[in-house]
Amino acid sequence: MEVDPRLKVTLPGLTMKNPIMPASGCFAFGREYAELFDLSELGAVGIKGTTGDARFGNPTPRVAETPSGMLNAIGLQNPGAQAVRDEELPFLEGYDVPVLANVSGSTPEEYVHVVETLTDAPNVGAFELNISCPNVKEGGIHFGTAPGEAASLTEAVKAVSTKPVYVKLSPNVTDVTAIALAVEAAGADGLSLINTLVGMRIDAKTGKPVLANEKGGLSGPAVKPVALRMIHDIRQVTGLPIIGMGGIQSAEDVVEFLFAGADAVAVGTANFSNPFVCPTIIRELPAWLDQLGMESIGAFREQGVNI
Amino acid sequence: MKNERMIVEQNKSIAAKTHEMTLSGPLVAHLAQPGTFLHVAVPGDDLVLRRPISIAAVDRDAGTCTIVYKEEGEGTKRLSRCRAGDGVDVFGPLGKQGFPAEQPSPGDDVLIIGGGVGVPPLYFAARELAKRGVSVSVILGFQTAAAIFYERAFRELSGCEVRVMTNDGSNGHAGTVIDALNERPSPPDWLFACGPRGMLRAVETHGAHSKTNGYVSLEERMGCGIGVCFACVCETGDRASYRKICRDGPVFRFKEVVI
Repeated sequence: MEVDPRLKVTLPGLTMKNPIMPASGCFAFGREYAELFDLSELGAVGIKGTTGDARFGNPTPRVAETPSGMLNAIGLQNPGAQAVRDEELPFLEGYDVPVLANVSGSTPEEYVHVVETLTDAPNVGAFELNISCPNVKEGGIHFGTAPGEAASLTEAVKAVSTKPVYVKLSPNVTDVTAIALAVEAAGADGLSLINTLVGMRIDAKTGKPVLANEKGGLSGPAVKPVALRMIHDIRQVTGLPIIGMGGIQSAEDVVEFLFAGADAVAVGTANFSNPFVCPTIIRELPAWLDQLGMESIGAFREQGVNI
Repeated sequence: MKNERMIVEQNKSIAAKTHEMTLSGPLVAHLAQPGTFLHVAVPGDDLVLRRPISIAAVDRDAGTCTIVYKEEGEGTKRLSRCRAGDGVDVFGPLGKQGFPAEQPSPGDDVLIIGGGVGVPPLYFAARELAKRGVSVSVILGFQTAAAIFYERAFRELSGCEVRVMTNDGSNGHAGTVIDALNERPSPPDWLFACGPRGMLRAVETHGAHSKTNGYVSLEERMGCGIGVCFACVCETGDRASYRKICRDGPVFRFKEVVI
């Protein structure tokens, strides 16, 4: 695919041909999608949340459909930091695309260990601290709902990371700007948001939760208005780079996120509906720039376009 | 793996809440292995997950394939409303491991056990076996007479012997497929099964034998269908690792995974 220079976006650690990346957890480590299209077409790749040791995750069923969305309770299944470093990241080195490495853990020490293990990987451009996973009982979301905890975790990770650090924010809070400002003060290089909203479904025939984990994270088009509102709110209080996500399915959705204040975006659930959604959006973006009279993706920011 | 808009040639009810859809399109040329499945997008933008539906038959000459699905929720209800000429967004074939219908030799004792909506991929397997001159014994299990489908289709296959079991005895023999399995005088050389998880567990327990090459097809709620989301995992038999049903299966050898 021909690269349109107008789509280029440069963020801390991530020089992107375009503002589109698959969101963590919706792309594994790229092998499967590499069978469908050239991963080098993407702006970046957000890899699956990585923990210190391998995790098997939660019992099944782990997904449930909801109106215009889905709930998931995968529970951070992943092969562990060393296996990701040795077996998964080298595969992605075969493509001309930077990696945003999503990091999870139960304790600050675990986050630090994962970052130490992955930080010298040549294709890891930046880290995304998952302080907002709703699907593990210990840790995870706990770090993302208290400004002090979020800040101290950010500081601890920044101390060992040689790569920029983005903090992925949880929407399951009263004031998301307070968390954003706390992690900015702690040295975060950027923000990504939103993670999933905690939700639940109940089988009307049995009265039992559909998910084995009972609760899960809501994603998909249903959460897009929440994501846009939170990005807009945070853009009013900080100039930090923002990777926006939450229900993006089309180039039009991407434009909405750019107007709200995002610098780049991640596409999650839509990969499941349409495995070719990322390259499709990338192809459609130039026509949107033409239509809006924007010289580049960066122009949304440079021209101070806001709402 | 291809993603294309296939054309509905026919869509009809064949049993209680059970529908058969025939689709045409270039994707048919890529369908070869019984047990693999299609990921079908439901009409309407508000349902974000595709439905994994197994392939019941492929007719390469006609350029068509047949899928059978049960109407269980809004998504499958919408599929049931599709009419001839409509387009349906299909992704597939998915799954790396199907039923090894190419392996049994003529003269081998091949047993197929299907329960309810698990029957369709076994019909695909039986057709492939019949084409190769392999005789097949088939045990089909349904809740009740109104749920029975494909009994005649199996009987029409050359060398196919069919026994139907209904839980309530309203058709065929009263009882479960396990009752029929246990009445057999000797273990089969090959056993292919698909159906509810409880049935498959029992099939593995009662059908496992050193001479039997046993295979089961598993179903689970799926997200992506290609192995990236980790929704449909199951533990390996030694409980030391895991398999993805959509990617590594959906057919597994007996004991390969915990059913």
